[in-house]
Amino acid sequence: MMGPILAIAKTTVGEAIRRRVLLVILMIGVLLLSIIPSLGVLTARQEKAVMISTMFAVLRATSALIAIILTIYMIPNEIERRTIYTILSKPVQRWQFLVGKYLGAVFALFIMIAMMSAVMIILYKVFHNPDMASLLDVAKQPINYFMEMSLLSALSIFISTFAPPLVNFFLSFGLWGVGTVLNPLYDSVAQNSGTGPIMKGVATIATKVLPNFAQYDIKNPIINPETIIENPQMYTIYITGYAIVYITFLLIGGMLIFEKREV
Amino acid sequence: MRLKRSQLLVTLLFLFGVQGALQSVIFPLWKKNYAPVKQSKDGFVSDSLSPDQIILQLFGFREFLSGILWVRADGFFDSGNYDAVLPMIRLCTVLDPRQIDIFSTGMWHIAYNFTDEEQRSDRRYVASALALGKEGAAQNPDTYEIFFETGWIWFHKIDDEYHNSVKWFELAHQRADMQAGRRNLLSNAYQRNNQLDEALDLYIKLLAKANDAAKANPKEHMLQTMRDTVEGNLDTMIVRLVQRGTLAQRRGDYAGGQYDTNPPFDVGFSARVTVENPRVIRVEGTWNVASIGTRVRIVLRDKDMEGGKLAELDWDARDAVDLEPSRDVTFMQDQLFVKNRRFKKLIDMSKDPTMYPFSETKKNYVVEFYYNPRSAPPHIQDKFGFNGEGFTDSNFLRTDVRKDFVYDLSQKDSKGKYSVDPKLVEGKTSQRVMYYAMDLTREQLLRRGQWSMDGGQTPILTTKNFDPKKVITVDEVIAVPTLRGQEGHGNIEEKKK
Repeated sequence: MMGPILAIAKTTVGEAIRRRVLLVILMIGVLLLSIIPSLGVLTARQEKAVMISTMFAVLRATSALIAIILTIYMIPNEIERRTIYTILSKPVQRWQFLVGKYLGAVFALFIMIAMMSAVMIILYKVFHNPDMASLLDVAKQPINYFMEMSLLSALSIFISTFAPPLVNFFLSFGLWGVGTVLNPLYDSVAQNSGTGPIMKGVATIATKVLPNFAQYDIKNPIINPETIIENPQMYTIYITGYAIVYITFLLIGGMLIFEKREV
Repeated sequence: MRLKRSQLLVTLLFLFGVQGALQSVIFPLWKKNYAPVKQSKDGFVSDSLSPDQIILQLFGFREFLSGILWVRADGFFDSGNYDAVLPMIRLCTVLDPRQIDIFSTGMWHIAYNFTDEEQRSDRRYVASALALGKEGAAQNPDTYEIFFETGWIWFHKIDDEYHNSVKWFELAHQRADMQAGRRNLLSNAYQRNNQLDEALDLYIKLLAKANDAAKANPKEHMLQTMRDTVEGNLDTMIVRLVQRGTLAQRRGDYAGGQYDTNPPFDVGFSARVTVENPRVIRVEGTWNVASIGTRVRIVLRDKDMEGGKLAELDWDARDAVDLEPSRDVTFMQDQLFVKNRRFKKLIDMSKDPTMYPFSETKKNYVVEFYYNPRSAPPHIQDKFGFNGEGFTDSNFLRTDVRKDFVYDLSQKDSKGKYSVDPKLVEGKTSQRVMYYAMDLTREQLLRRGQWSMDGGQTPILTTKNFDPKKVITVDEVIAVPTLRGQEGHGNIEEKKK
């Protein structure tokens, strides 16, 4: 059962690494990261905080762009080039094809996030010479971003089973934006006593149904070490569990649609 | 292996439920521990934020944007464009509520730097500065700085209702990162709030800690200096407790003892207020204390001011940061500097209509004179005592203007942290202050109608004991008396006799 999945995943990683557009995005991300240490002049006592938080923001935005562009073309391209016939004519189920593609994308994403994180950590070490504990603390955030981007990739793969790439791009990006930027706002609306019942209902649905990417942003205690966090291990377990559950949910949804789709 | 569609659908529904349940657990945890901006009880970050500000502050580049804005604000500040700085400070605190410097600088700027032509600060902004402090403290509860800065506004800028400076300094003191040198200030606040036992107790504890620190690092000069400072403060306080007769009062033999505070000294306040021109008043009067260093508070305000208190505003009225104080409120506060036992000051409120609007809807105003011995400098307090026991005024002594209050700071929440909203308990004592109020109408202040500048009467208000001869300036040489005289300490004429 796993043989075909791993074979497809391996091919997908190779394809992803060869794609120039992804390499260009990666390069821009690394370049942006490398100029961030010079932004320390923007603050008096929080030079380190501004540097790390801006690096995290660049890492997150670049990773999201890579995750979306990497996955939106995967299935439509196979159908358009008719290579999918060659694959499905072999003893490979459609769900195995989908899962293989997803795992390949996630592994490629891992390589790219790891490269950018390495650059980030090296720059942090060079410019601030932090101790090992602080370095490990900074490394926690990219791990969370990897989980976030894995979820985003699953969302894009799911959408790609029924929507063309352009629609998928805007839909995935929009949902990521809602889940990242607007989720706390929707939550504010849902909690506010002055909000009307209809708006409250919409806001509650948005926070409970749509994937919540905001919760993978844990940089606050990293850039403000005096912040006291209760039980961070449990939190990590929760968000990992959430990612696994939601990714599985999206992949099963994708399988159900892809099984019925004419190719 | 073919997957059964019905089984997949059931699994799908199950997973959907699980993610919803997980979300209900995770997001509250994220908001509590990891969200960059702590939300208010109502959900919104702040009632005064516009939607675009809320959205903007949610982006990942908030610290970066905040840094850029703060540098820009600094430029405006250097060029004296204070009005432009205010919204930028607000935006910076919204974007990056962990920038403690912006909160503390912003509070200072709002409370101190909006001034009129004569450099009197616009006190209507003080409530906004305190609201910013409350927000900053809520956003940064694990560090002492904003608690301390808020306490400082109460202690130094407001210089009244000392239970509030005690509260904020105590909250700062309870945080481990507070600088040792700053902890002394809590004792000063205790003294002004008539909590002398607590003040003494704190100095003793601080001295014990300073001793330990100095012994542990004998070569560290700063620690030795710190220890000496605390010891000096403790010694001075003990001397004052004896010299001012506080300990004798507790022993019960104060009446027969020779203390600087016994008998109480009559300050002989009198005043005359003349509306010389529209919105311009001249204030003259007497204060029978020869020592320099006395500043009598004068307030001119709307008589029916909402939340108005005697000789002050309701400083703690706001919880949300509002950078636009009510534009139809008139509140002027100044100090009358006493020299050679008299004061004289021209107060011009004609050049700043936004600061002194004298709104058409407000017909009646009140001029208040207020002096609280607790705010006096130490050399004056040596005569007046910690709580004004050596102070009196045969005409205007009041004990009903300021009650003593103490916050119950023993309360802790379920996690063992001190509550920032403790219970306020009314004390058993009142403060001995000088207070007098005079009523003025808008017509009088603006010199209209029968008070017109064209042949009308000049509005003049006086206290019953006002004697014009006593305020005639004969010389400007400051007579420096000694406080260690015989009868009538500080009264040069009596000493000459």
